[in-house]
Amino acid sequence: MTILATEGLTRRFPRVTALDQLTVNVGPGVTGLVGANGAGKSTLIKILLGLLDPSAGKAQVLGMDTTTQGPEIRRVVGYMPEHDCLPPDMSATEFTVHMGQMSGLPRTSARERAADVLRHVGLYEERYRVMGGYSTGMKQRVKLAQALVHDPRLVFLDEPTNGLDPQGRDEMLALIRRIGTEFGISVLVTSHLLGELERVCDHVIVIDGGKLLRSSSIADFTQTTQTVTVEVEEGRQALAARLTELGETVVEHGRSLLVQVRAPETFDTLRDAVCDLDLCLVRMEQGRQRIEDVFKEPVSRESADV
Amino acid sequence: MSEPTGVIHDIGYRHYDGVRLGRRHATVALAVHSLRGIFGLGRTIRAKIIPFLIVGVMMLPAVVSIAVMALLRQKVMAYTSYGSIMQAVLAVFLAAQSPYIVAPDLRFRVLPLYLSRPVTLWDYVGAKLAAMITAMFLLLAVPLTVLYIGELVVDLPDPVKTGNYLAAMAGAAVSALLLSCIGVAIASFTPRRGLGVASVIAFYLLTSAVSTLVSATMESVNNYTASGWALMINPFFLVDAAVHVGLFGADASSPVVYPSGGGAVALQLLLVVVLIALSVIALVTRYRKAAAR
Ligand SMILES: Nc1ncnc2c1ncn2[C@@H]1O[C@H](COP(=O)(O)OP(=O)(O)OP(=O)(O)O)[C@@H](O)[C@H]1O
Ligand SMILES: [Mg+2]
Repeated sequence: MTILATEGLTRRFPRVTALDQLTVNVGPGVTGLVGANGAGKSTLIKILLGLLDPSAGKAQVLGMDTTTQGPEIRRVVGYMPEHDCLPPDMSATEFTVHMGQMSGLPRTSARERAADVLRHVGLYEERYRVMGGYSTGMKQRVKLAQALVHDPRLVFLDEPTNGLDPQGRDEMLALIRRIGTEFGISVLVTSHLLGELERVCDHVIVIDGGKLLRSSSIADFTQTTQTVTVEVEEGRQALAARLTELGETVVEHGRSLLVQVRAPETFDTLRDAVCDLDLCLVRMEQGRQRIEDVFKEPVSRESADV
Repeated sequence: MSEPTGVIHDIGYRHYDGVRLGRRHATVALAVHSLRGIFGLGRTIRAKIIPFLIVGVMMLPAVVSIAVMALLRQKVMAYTSYGSIMQAVLAVFLAAQSPYIVAPDLRFRVLPLYLSRPVTLWDYVGAKLAAMITAMFLLLAVPLTVLYIGELVVDLPDPVKTGNYLAAMAGAAVSALLLSCIGVAIASFTPRRGLGVASVIAFYLLTSAVSTLVSATMESVNNYTASGWALMINPFFLVDAAVHVGLFGADASSPVVYPSGGGAVALQLLLVVVLIALSVIALVTRYRKAAAR
């Protein structure tokens, strides 16, 4: 099933080309859209909402054409913008109810939905207070609530972790994961950090300068590239030799070893080898930064082409 | 085994499968929400002070007139003069409340949230305008109607002035339309509420001062036609001349004689239409730009 699809999607502004021949297909679940500042993430979302016309190419959301069926798309899609968008003199409850009505819910249903959704995003007593005094974390939660109040089939979340502290970021990411799984609502979430999206996404799209760099399922590339970083006090060479002997792929990386994870058994092999050689293990970490390397690779090739 | 009642369970996420109404419903809901907000309903006590005070002041002449009719058994004023007499109060209300309905959505960037829903930019602008027009109409029509009911109840010896009441109601509708379009258009140009209030009140003070000044000057040189036209710079007198006097044949509420005759009235009505059109064009241009951001 295709949730959204673009074909040769291009958007030119007077000075820049924000999107350049973008062709992607997105299925259900949580999809991450990663790119640096100005990569064209927000522009893509605006086109998908039918608020901005493409200069060339076309896009479909839930089977509907963005240029001709904008209002129909916006009935069943939610949107959380990257910027502040909350009137400070309204309470979260009032605001969410109002936005529910704007999406076509009758007032009583909007009330029930707002109460439900605010609870799910984690706003309790404070939802009756005016939003002017909210922390960034609370504001992000209300912004998310108004995107979910009408129970959309798909939500676009534009940089939802922006401005959050590490704990707030983790909570927001967990919430996004729940929206995709437990709530059964497909999610397109943007960020300029791949590292954080990798934890919650089923699929990741990387764009740069409006061009598609990569679009693949998380399972796909973590499988082929997952590594574990091992650091031992002494006997690094011995460990490398032993692991190679046992059929693992090992690379020396400064003071540590990078071991490619073929299968879960790799961890057993590693543990046994360390025990057998009687080594002192300092650190063992699954290679998160390696995944970013996977993405960096085509970027540098891209710029080399230019 | 039956569940004990009165226990809260975490029921998890529930989908919504009730009705989903269309654009029309959302637009009406937005207009009602804005209209309530203009009168401070559903807002803080502080937001209620100005509208409540102004409504009270607007009711005052009606209440006093009814008392005078009851005690002294005589009419105090024509219905068609009510708006002109109370024009400063109506202008203050327009200045205080039109920025409220447009500025915060621009300043706090709520507009993109509306636009991410089925309502279009023009539904949004239409709902906001409709709310302001209705508020301005009610502000004048309610005291007029109270006064009319008072006249019916008091039962003076002379016949009830139903014709004059209806003319005044028509005038209230036209002035609400004209003033709201101008006020909201001016207010929409700044996301800052204070600046919006100042701009609208400046507009009223300027037009009323200029019209009085030019009119008096022309009168002193015995140019009565020019003096009458100069008064048309003030939107309240323009509506009085075009609707009350021109269309309904009521007496003028200004000390100066308005330009009269079929041609003059047609020109005054045209002026009203042109002013409304210009305001709407300004508003549309403004929001085109705001939406493109
Ligand atoms: N309305 C506009 N007029 C002109 N240029 C625009 C407009 N909107 C976006 N751009 C340009 O298009 C490019 C892509 O912008 P976009 O906002 O889509 O990037 P982004 O990936 O969302 O970046 P960020 O991470 O900063 O939010 C940028 O160079 C931007 O300056
Ligand atoms: Mg962006």
